[in-house]
Amino acid sequence: MLFSKKIIICFFALVLFSCNQKENKNDNKQSPTDTLQNNVAALVKSDQSTLDMSWCPANYPLEQMQGNKQKLIARVIYSRPQKKGRQIFGTTAESLCVYGKPWRLGANEATEITFFENVNITGKDIEKGTYVLYCIPNEKTWTIILNTNLYTWGLHIDETKDIFKTDIPTINQQPSIENFTLFFEDTKTGCDMVMAWDNVKAILPIVFVR
Amino acid sequence: MKYLFFAILFSAFLSPNGFAQPLQAIPAIDKSPMDMSTYPVNYPLLKIQDKATIPIVARVTYSRPQKSNRVVFGELLEYNTVWRFGANENTEIEFFKDVKINRVLVKKGKYSLFAIPNTDKWTIILNKDLNTWGSFKYEKTKDVLRVDVAVQKTTEIAESFYIYFDKTTTGFSLNAGWDDVKVSLPINM
Repeated sequence: MLFSKKIIICFFALVLFSCNQKENKNDNKQSPTDTLQNNVAALVKSDQSTLDMSWCPANYPLEQMQGNKQKLIARVIYSRPQKKGRQIFGTTAESLCVYGKPWRLGANEATEITFFENVNITGKDIEKGTYVLYCIPNEKTWTIILNTNLYTWGLHIDETKDIFKTDIPTINQQPSIENFTLFFEDTKTGCDMVMAWDNVKAILPIVFVR
Repeated sequence: MKYLFFAILFSAFLSPNGFAQPLQAIPAIDKSPMDMSTYPVNYPLLKIQDKATIPIVARVTYSRPQKSNRVVFGELLEYNTVWRFGANENTEIEFFKDVKINRVLVKKGKYSLFAIPNTDKWTIILNKDLNTWGSFKYEKTKDVLRVDVAVQKTTEIAESFYIYFDKTTTGFSLNAGWDDVKVSLPINM
């Protein structure tokens, strides 16, 4: 249990959330009017699109625990929907993530990024703080967007609260990735935020402002 | 992460392509998946439906270890020993306004959560050390608060550790349980 990030496990639960699919609720996140009092049964199920956390520098908590002193730059909290044989990116209505439409870069709650230091992304300074992170996928590019409407579910994005947008190229990803993945890779000037699902990958370079 | 590296290395040997297409260090789905609970309950959903009557008060981010046929309390988790109240990264609670726990003022902000389980009570701990892993480097000197709460037996067995909030007459409570026990921490607004 201590270092459980080594094993691929499929989780079984009720409903998968992702992209622009119709919004169902699973048992773990009951409808707002329900109460959860003493309802243990409702709580034992984990989300099918499990929540996960990524760090820049990569594995910061483990490194910190092992005594490696580094400066914490960023943390992302996001959910990981599964492909499950479906078409993910495309122009048709069957695609989970339709070109040109906002996608929450995850599932369930809005994906959230915290910068613990000021950073620079594609030439623009971003003040440290917590932001909603989402994307508008297209075939050749993804528009990555930071937004200030925090603690919200990942649908109905309030675009008036966007504070930053940038386009990055898509990259062909082989083999296909079953679970949407977002992680950081350290670079000379900062870190790359790598996002990948199905056969598409995109990389957002983040530069530390020293 | 060394383990992940070796797992990937090993899987490369097993895969038909071998190293023909080098696999990236794509993080696997955690065995103890992460989850999030808010007060008001389901705040993010309420917010997009314009049904939130008050701003968000609290959010806990934690990982959910599974029982997997093990005896949890007393064996997997030793009694009277600090436990990270979850799995993997520290469990984190954020208060978006000042609250009172056991008549002690807790300032808004982020804290790590730990617990010391015993047969009849758990000691719930709020600590200032953030963004770390487990309770391996837990330091008592960084505690903000310690509160003892009574252990309740549940009729159902919870396979996964859980944390959720619910409303009370004086505020709300943080409920946590695993296997056949549960505790409740009252929080006043």
